[in-house]
Order: sequence, then C-alpha cells, then structure tokens
Amino acid sequence: METLTNNFKSIEEFQVISDVFSQAITGELIGMSNFASLSGTIEDPFEKMEAIEHANGERQHAEGFMAYAKKTGLNININLNGSYWGRIRDVFLSYANKNDFIACLMIQEVMLEAFAVSMYTDVGRVLEDEAQKLFLSIAEEEKEHMDHSTEILRSELKKNPDDFIRKIEIIHYECMTILSEFSARTDLSGHCGVCHGDCMKNSLHHIGLDVVTMRGNALALYAEALDNIGIPGEKSVLWIANLPA
Amino acid sequence: MDSKSTSLDFAIIGHQESWQSITSFINGIRNASIEPLPVDKIKDVFGFMPPRDLFKITLKSKTGNEVNGVFIETFIDPDKLSARYLKTNISKVKKAISLASKLNAKLATLGGFTSIVLEGSRNEFKDISIKLTTGNTLTAGFILKGIEHACVQYDIRLEESNVLIIGATGDIGLACTHYLKQKVSTLLLNARNQRRLETLATSLRNEGVNVFCDTNLESLVPKADIIIAVASSKDILIGNTKNNVIICDAGYPKNLENRLLKKEDIILFHGGMGIINYGYTFSPNYKPFFYNYPVDNVAHGCVLEAVILAFEKKYENYSVGKGNITPEAISNIYQWALKHGVELAPFYNSKGLCKLFNTKV
Ligand SMILES: NC(=O)C1=CN([C@@H]2O[C@H](COP(=O)(O)OP(=O)(O)OC[C@H]3O[C@@H](n4cnc5c(N)ncnc54)[C@H](OP(=O)(O)O)[C@@H]3O)[C@@H](O)[C@H]2O)C=CC1
Ligand SMILES: [Fe+2]
Ligand SMILES: [Fe+2]
Repeated sequence: METLTNNFKSIEEFQVISDVFSQAITGELIGMSNFASLSGTIEDPFEKMEAIEHANGERQHAEGFMAYAKKTGLNININLNGSYWGRIRDVFLSYANKNDFIACLMIQEVMLEAFAVSMYTDVGRVLEDEAQKLFLSIAEEEKEHMDHSTEILRSELKKNPDDFIRKIEIIHYECMTILSEFSARTDLSGHCGVCHGDCMKNSLHHIGLDVVTMRGNALALYAEALDNIGIPGEKSVLWIANLPA
Repeated sequence: MDSKSTSLDFAIIGHQESWQSITSFINGIRNASIEPLPVDKIKDVFGFMPPRDLFKITLKSKTGNEVNGVFIETFIDPDKLSARYLKTNISKVKKAISLASKLNAKLATLGGFTSIVLEGSRNEFKDISIKLTTGNTLTAGFILKGIEHACVQYDIRLEESNVLIIGATGDIGLACTHYLKQKVSTLLLNARNQRRLETLATSLRNEGVNVFCDTNLESLVPKADIIIAVASSKDILIGNTKNNVIICDAGYPKNLENRLLKKEDIILFHGGMGIINYGYTFSPNYKPFFYNYPVDNVAHGCVLEAVILAFEKKYENYSVGKGNITPEAISNIYQWALKHGVELAPFYNSKGLCKLFNTKV
C-alpha cells in the first residue's frame, strides 16, 4: 500500500516523484552495470581503470537517489530489464563484448548522459530543497562526464573523420531509437516496466513538467553534444530527423 | 570530406517562414522506408533544436571564380517571431553566429528575422573574427532596380511618380527612401510609429523633398503610382489603388497578394531578389525543400550580398545598424553583382512569372 508522507502535496505528486526517482535510480544502475561490464572486457589498463571509476561514480549517484527515496518514503521500483532500459543495456553489452571502448563511451557518456543531464536539470528546477540539490548536483557531475568524453571522442574523430562518423551513425540508430521511443509522448514500444501503473509521462504536470519539453531539451543537448564532438550539423540533423517520434 | 574544418567564404543564417516548410524538409530527409511525421511531432523535436548547418552552397562568378558557403538554420519557431519570444530567438541567432564562426566562415549574412541582432550594439561580437551583414544593402538594391526596370517596361516616368514606402522607417525602407528622394515626384511614407515617421519626414522636407507621411495607409494608397512594401507584417491591407499601380512586395511574411482589396489593374512582383547566372548548387541537394521560386537560380538579396562580398573578397560588416545604407553603397554592391553575373531576378509573384516583365532592358 502506498503511503503518503507529509513531504508531498498530493498523492499524484508522490506517485510521479516516486516514478521520477525510480527512473533515475534504474538509469544510474544501468550506467554502473555498463561500465562494470566494460571493465571486464577491455585489456588496456588505463581504460580498465577508467571504466571502474565511472562505474563507481554511477553507483554513488544511484545511492544518492536511493537514500533520498528511503528518507522520504518514496515508492521505488527498480527494473533493469524493462523494455527500454533492457534494450539499451543489450546495445551497450554488444559493444562491450567487442572491447569497443569508444562505442561504449558514445552510448553511455554522450547519448545516455545527454538525456540524464537534461532531464535531471529539468526535474531539479521544479523540485524543492534537498531533491532539487540532488538532481542539479548529479546533473552537474554527469555534465563533467560528458565534457571529458567529448574530448576523447573529438580526438578520435580527428584520426579518421569518415570512419568515425560512419561508426557513430550506426550507434546513433541503435541507441537513440530506443531513447526516442522511450521519451515520445506515448511509449512507442509499450510500458517501460519502471513506472507504477500508467506511465508517469501523463502525470508530469503534477510537478510542473511536461514530456514534450523534457524530450525536446534532451534531444537539443544531444545535438549540441554531437556538435562538440565535431559531427557536422548536416549529419546530426539527418540522424535526428530519422528517429521515431 | 564534410567534417574537415576547411575555411568557408560565407554563411547564411536563416529561419523558415512556416512549420510547413520545416515539415517538408524533415520528412524529405527521412528515410523513404519510415513513415512521414505529422507537423506536431516535428515541432516536438525541432522546436527545441539548436542552430545547425544544413547544407553547403557553391556559386560561380562570371569571372570563373567560385565561392563556398553554408546554410545555417536557426530553428527559430516560425510561429514565435513576436516580441514575446525575442530573448529565445536572439539567443538562437547568437548560437548560429558562433557556429558560423566555428565553421571558419569569413562572413555571415543574417537573413529575415535574424538580422535583428545587428540593429543595436554589436559589442558582444567584437571578439569574434567573423564579419556580419544584414544583407539589406543588396536587398534594397534589387528592390530599387526592380522599380526602375518596371518603370522602363511600363513606360512610367519615375520622376513624375508618387512612390509609397510601407515600412519607411525600417532599415530597407530608409535605404529606399534615401535612394529615391531626389528621383521621384513625391514620397509617401508609412509605418506605425508616428514619431519616427514624422522625424524622418521633417528631415526630408528640410532637404527639399516632397513628402507626405501617414500612419494610416488608406490615406496614402490612392495617391501612389508605385508601392514598395518592406514592413514585416501580416496586417497590411491595400485598397483603393490607382489603376496600373506597381507594387514591389519585398516584406515577409509574403502575403500581400491576399491583402489587396482590389486585384485588377495591379502589377505586383516579389522584390529584393537576384538571379545567379553562372552556377548555384547545394550539397546535399536540398533545393527541392528550400527552394520554391518559379525560376531557377533565384535568391534573396540578403543572401546574395554575402556571396557578392565573398566574390569581391571584401570581408566586412557591409550592412549593419539601422538607417546606415547609403545610395553609394547600394550602387557599389549592385555593380559588383553585375560583374559576377548576378542580376535582378525576373519578375514573379505567387502565380508564377509575370510574363510582361520577363524581357531584359
Ligand atoms: N527580399 C529580401 O531579400 C529581404 C527581405 N527582407 C524583408 O524586408 C522587410 C523589412 O526589413 P527591415 O527593413 O530589415 O525591417 P525593419 O524592422 O528595420 O523595418 C520594418 C519597418 O516596417 C514598419 N512596420 C512594421 N509593421 C508595420 C505595419 N503593420 N504597417 C506599416 N509599417 C509597419 C516598421 O515601423 P513601425 O514599427 O513603426 O511600424 C519599420 O519601418 C522584412 O519583412 C524582411 O523580412 C529583409 C531582408 C531581405
Ligand atoms: Fe550517473
Ligand atoms: Fe555518468
């Protein structure tokens, strides 16, 4: 039975915030598992250590969200195998199994992180006090991950622009298709397996958000991330135009 | 290769006039095997999109030279051009300028609404090396040459004509006013802000120019032999025109044809346009999505200004601020345009080419 603690104005707010935290925790655990998997497959000692460090960072984020959820009595549902998160994990693993550090970086630190940074920022802006601080500070840290990886990817692009762009294009369609379906106005591939009951997308207005703006902002940040890596606008517009909507 | 940062001669910064045109572009570049998207879904994504370089443009001069540029779409929401959204829109234009600079363009022209950032102080651009222009000088040039050309075709004496300028206190309106003030019988000036209009009229009278001004268009239209419309407004209504009045519609949105109370005995063309005679290509070839004129190789004066300056290797802030365009600057850029094989576009309107006008002087 869900209990409404006095931290929330209404049952609807409690439910939607519970779902928001459930998604954030699930996402962080996906990130943690992704890097943990990567550390097991890559040979390069430097990259191995990098991966462990990343995994630990994501673990701390998950713990931060979990601690708040516990304190405030949120109703948390964690599911790493839902129809979107599970597929994202599969795409990541397919590259981790090939020891493809660059592809993994692209998926985790650019694609997933663009969505995390943007959505955490949007959520942080509407929540109050400790929850606000939590989302905004984690968004800030994720942003640093993005910036750091962008530098690596930028130098990778410079080595062989044609091959790099071709590779990123493939990863884009594999991964961003899932994120795009996940964040569309209606779940394009069924229930996510994380939200309680109906998808929280329809309830975001209870906390002053809407899914169209959140998704628009996230895709905009992704486009900017591609720009920063050095992908020509001509390509990114084509790639984004070809996503499901 | 597209990701090399080779230097570009120019960048064109623009926005679309309607969601319809963004929709046809996005659906046009979507893979044929996936379904086209309805406009609301396109808004959901591209209403948020930061400025992007969409395609490259190559133009050839009569001299054999070639210049290369890029089109940067600001993704300014065409339904949100009003003052309420000014901050968001200006920030998109600024991002587009930084992108042009990052792409190593030597000069950027700010088309349509985007030129607004060059009206005021340009302090924040002083640290970037890219030169900026509104393109309004060559636009005014094509408008005015269009009028002169039409007068020859119709056997109208410009010096005996009353010329009405709608949007007279704007940058292009002022350029037209100053160019025409010694060349016509009477100038009829219209805009909404009375104070600015009066100030302009007074200074012209002091120079001995025959001028009437009115914020009420209705009182000026019946006197006009020639009308130049350079206001950015959907609300203009033109009634009670003289027979065979010549109207040059150079403003946006392009809807003047639907705003005429009387449609007979009117010669209306879309002005401010030039034609490139020696080669104009897009890569990828997105022309089908961004090009909708009845003749090939036509482009806006503001776009062509950057091209001509690039052909001339004059990378400078050619048109900036408001009211700074001189008749000399207009003549100069028009002459350079001719030298490179860029001429006044044939006359056309929403129905297609205006056949009568289609012969060269
Ligand atoms: N063909 C081409 O290549 C180009 C065309 N253009 C178009 O030319 C037009 C003018 O550009 P620009 O001079 O830079 O713009 P400005 O903003 O400088 O000037 C607009 C003028 O129109 C007046 N105006 C606005 N609304 C009305 C109205 N309802 N009735 C009468 N006057 C009105 C304004 O004065 P007030 O506010 O007092 O009414 C002002 O005088 C724009 O529509 C622009 O899109 C621009 C560049 C290139
Ligand atoms: Fe994280
Ligand atoms: Fe991260």
